[in-house]
Amino acid sequence: MKDIKIEVNDLSLYYGEKQALKEISMQIQRNKVTALIGPSGCGKSTFLRSINRMNDLIPSVKITGEMLVEGVNIYDKDVDVVNIRKKIGMVFQKSNPFPKSIYENVAYGPKINGIKDKTQLDEIVETSLRQAAIWEEVKDRLGDSAMGLSGGQQQRLCIARTLAVSPDIVLMDEPASALDPISTSKIEELVHQLKEQYTIIIVTHNMQQAARTSDYTAFFYLGELIEMDKTKTIFTKPSKKQTEDYITGRFG
Amino acid sequence: MASLLEIELAKLKLAIIKIGILSENQINEAMKSLLSDPNTKEKKIKKNENKIDKLDVKIDEICQNVFALQQPVATDLRFVMSAIQISNEFERIGDLAINVIKNSKSVKEKHDLVIKFNIETITKNIQTITEKTNECFELQSEKMIGEIFVLNKTIRLECEKGINEIVKEMKINPKAVTSGINLIFVLKHLERIGEHCTNIAEFVYFVINAKMIKHEKTKIG
Repeated sequence: MKDIKIEVNDLSLYYGEKQALKEISMQIQRNKVTALIGPSGCGKSTFLRSINRMNDLIPSVKITGEMLVEGVNIYDKDVDVVNIRKKIGMVFQKSNPFPKSIYENVAYGPKINGIKDKTQLDEIVETSLRQAAIWEEVKDRLGDSAMGLSGGQQQRLCIARTLAVSPDIVLMDEPASALDPISTSKIEELVHQLKEQYTIIIVTHNMQQAARTSDYTAFFYLGELIEMDKTKTIFTKPSKKQTEDYITGRFG
Repeated sequence: MASLLEIELAKLKLAIIKIGILSENQINEAMKSLLSDPNTKEKKIKKNENKIDKLDVKIDEICQNVFALQQPVATDLRFVMSAIQISNEFERIGDLAINVIKNSKSVKEKHDLVIKFNIETITKNIQTITEKTNECFELQSEKMIGEIFVLNKTIRLECEKGINEIVKEMKINPKAVTSGINLIFVLKHLERIGEHCTNIAEFVYFVINAKMIKHEKTKIG
């Protein structure tokens, strides 16, 4: 039986008059990696941001339909948005560490969540940095500025920062698009390891990255979900012609 | 404008069509040789064989480059995967044609035996199946796949029948043993040629339908 973490029912999103997402329905499996692919402007990042209500920050946005996380519609009026974003972390395309020390970057979230005990914070920092596969590289310089790290290290630090508040779901918006192949490979390995504990949804323009890292792939086009299936099926035998045309580079 | 991948795939298709035509030419020469034509063009056959071998290597190289540089998926992936196999099948067909020529040289009174064991019909079917196989690949024709399977079955039955009759003849007439054994080899080669054509048709089916049917007992058609 499928173990569903997120169920989306007829979700539509409007930027003012413009409809960016058109009645999206899908199910996202727990402890799996789901890749969202599609050409620029197809709505995949908008969809990703709607999973932790990041679009709420844009005034003209209107959303209809349901986004059920563990059976609870996160768009219900009585739902606490801060709590949602705590449970659904996000890693962005461009690494964005705080201009603070490596330690402070990771400890920041737990601290504002009320954890003050130094030993507990140390433990969270170490665990998060280990999970993000960067501990060995930074353990001797936790007090150094995060801004001195390489791009790949900064991105893994941001992943550690996301993990430090113990989310259930991690959203990644092109997390490796600005990284060199070695850092990209580290992020991809990390994604693979993290799915044991987290449900991961990743937006990527890199077809091979989607194929390598994900269990399921959803193809978006012009705000519609065209096809979603096991990644293996999407990349060997997609059922829709539009998907085949996109993944084989014959689009448009 | 065609993408780099499309250009490479077109190059690959052309190379396979070429190796297919060369194998078909080898088959035609072999069938002539079998049907008592004393003028086997040995030089031409040898030259063709070299061309086939070179093309087989070239096709492998193109496929390797496409995998490494273009990362094909879906239909493209199936096409490149199949191209490696199909090229190998055509190369084997070429080799078998040469074996037919070699064995048929040791058959005495070829003309009479060819008539006696209905070998002319088999050679016609072999020529038809190789021609159809080339067309089937070029046109990616699902209809022809079924025809190839049917034809292969006919060839297999004809070859089995021919072999049984030759064995019977050898038991009665010990003088016919040398020619008989060589003819049996020839029929075995012809049977294998039919099988290689069927394998190619199965790969074409895989490219079209994303379903492997090799080793399946009941095939389409």
